[in-house]
Amino acid sequence: MLDLALLDFLFTSKVQVLEMTQPAIETRALTRKFGNTVAVRDLSLRVRRGEVFALLGPNGAGKTTTVRMLSCLIRPSAGTALVAGNDIIQDALKIREVVGLLPENPGLYPELSAYYTLDFYAKLYGVPASERKRRIRDLLELLGIWERRNEPVGRFSRGMQQKVAIARALVHDPEVLFLDEPTASLAPESAKVVREFIRKLRRKGRTILLCTHNLHEAEQLCDRVAILKTSLLTVGSPTELEREFGTQRVEIQLKRITARILQAVRRIGGVRKVKRGKRTLTVEVDDSSEVNPRIASAIVKAGGKIVWMKQASSLEEAYLKVVEST
Amino acid sequence: MRMDRVWTIARKDIASARKHRYVLYGLIGIPLIFAVLIPLSMLYPVLLGEQITENDLPSFAVPGLEPKQAMALGLVQMSVLMFMLLPAIIPSVISSYTFVGEKVNRQLEPLLATPTTDAELLVGKLMGAFVPAMLSTLISFAGFVVIVDALTFPLFGRLLLPDWISLVVLLVFCPLVGLAATSFCVVISAKVSDVRAAMQLGALSVLPPMGFYFLFTAGIVRLNWLSIVIFGALLACLSVGLLALGRARFGREEILVRWR
Ligand SMILES: Nc1ncnc2c1ncn2[C@@H]1O[C@H](COP(=O)(O)OP(=O)(O)OP(=O)(O)O)[C@@H](O)[C@H]1O
Ligand SMILES: [Mg+2]
Repeated sequence: MLDLALLDFLFTSKVQVLEMTQPAIETRALTRKFGNTVAVRDLSLRVRRGEVFALLGPNGAGKTTTVRMLSCLIRPSAGTALVAGNDIIQDALKIREVVGLLPENPGLYPELSAYYTLDFYAKLYGVPASERKRRIRDLLELLGIWERRNEPVGRFSRGMQQKVAIARALVHDPEVLFLDEPTASLAPESAKVVREFIRKLRRKGRTILLCTHNLHEAEQLCDRVAILKTSLLTVGSPTELEREFGTQRVEIQLKRITARILQAVRRIGGVRKVKRGKRTLTVEVDDSSEVNPRIASAIVKAGGKIVWMKQASSLEEAYLKVVEST
Repeated sequence: MRMDRVWTIARKDIASARKHRYVLYGLIGIPLIFAVLIPLSMLYPVLLGEQITENDLPSFAVPGLEPKQAMALGLVQMSVLMFMLLPAIIPSVISSYTFVGEKVNRQLEPLLATPTTDAELLVGKLMGAFVPAMLSTLISFAGFVVIVDALTFPLFGRLLLPDWISLVVLLVFCPLVGLAATSFCVVISAKVSDVRAAMQLGALSVLPPMGFYFLFTAGIVRLNWLSIVIFGALLACLSVGLLALGRARFGREEILVRWR
């Protein structure tokens, strides 16, 4: 009896470990052609479970095409992919059950209400009647639309429509979420709500693949990013890419800049270049996590008073370097 | 095929269609014309008019009856045949919005992302146009029967409708015409990117019932078992053919990539 129980335990825990380590998305030489144009070529990627992963790339890079292949809307011309452990060609129906998609274009029915829309999709996703009401209410409340649930969505602002579209992608509580430019055309405060929401989903362990042109957003939100231009150019965490391709830059606002401070900063190992503004110093460094604290203490020792220090976004620089070098 | 999913899709299309003002006007107005205006404008003058002689009878008059009765029954049969136009017209009005409109506004992608099979999607979309078309046809026909019987009872001393021909037209021909028309709309929406153009092309669905109607009014075809069976078989072939054609065009990939 005891042995059996132990065996059972070992077995289930092994299955669990397997599930934990198996990637949420794995593509192998995924390729898609439209006539003579190749939209995606030989894309091989792994997205871990619980990861927020961004696809970056210029217009026409194949981001939307990739997302459409992974959500089983179009078939690849060659190669395969697994999403949540299912093959995109053989188990398309199963994949559609467990993934949520926010397409590039929200594609809502303007004549129908937010509630009707979500209820409609929840039924198509097979959400049981007992759960539907609660889930829809939770989502609409979270996104601040509950009060206006019975108005036709055509009357909503762009931002509110985008929120309804996001709620639609989440109505069946999917394991894997594809978001194609979730914050494009949103006002900053709406974009912020959406980003907060993505963070919340991440904490709940959902895997999120998002396409974006907003590099600042990618840097803030994502564990890893891939830069795509038909083929995969590079993949890594924002910091890794910055370290590899970009220069890291820190801006420091001081009460007053003196020659002594300038000299002290220049002397620090790992500082590449110092540019002096009226009251700001812009310092290029090798590795900000190493060098920034040293800069701060050197300035203080030299009698400087720091008003603020800011790490400048350099994923953009890395991105441009990678994309332009091809 | 999971009928609950199919029905969910159909119901949504019906709800969408109802919210378009012109579709709603069409759904109410066209059946009203068929139920009320046609019998009143065609039948009523004959019933009120002078005695008709054998020589005045048009070719569609029913033989073997006294002239006025022959004329009246012929007109009734003509109007019954016109009812096939309803399931030909209404689907094109609805589906130009729910097929082509949704394609143009890119509302199909989120629908295609749901775990429904291509067949469920297709049948759901077809039913969304077919069911309201058939419902309006049935309701309109009921009104037509009441008006015609009220008008003709004094002349015949019995209820003319519903007779077996009208029931065949209503319960066999109309659904077949409706199926052909909705399938035709699917075929069109794969090619057309304009709601109005789709509506106009969709109106071509009236050709088969119009053809039969003209053969009848010209006196070339009489309504008997033979003509009914032949026309029924032709209609069935047409609607099954169009359905197969629509099915071949209706796949996720085709809709997203080639339906432009
Ligand atoms: N249905 C289609 N038919 C023909 N070509 C297509 C089709 N869909 C996409 N393409 C082509 O495939 C390439 C990749 O397009 P895709 O939409 O995937 O790019 P993207 O990275 O999403 O661009 P964006 O940032 O502008 O959204 C483009 O050259 C595009 O023209
Ligand atoms: Mg895109």
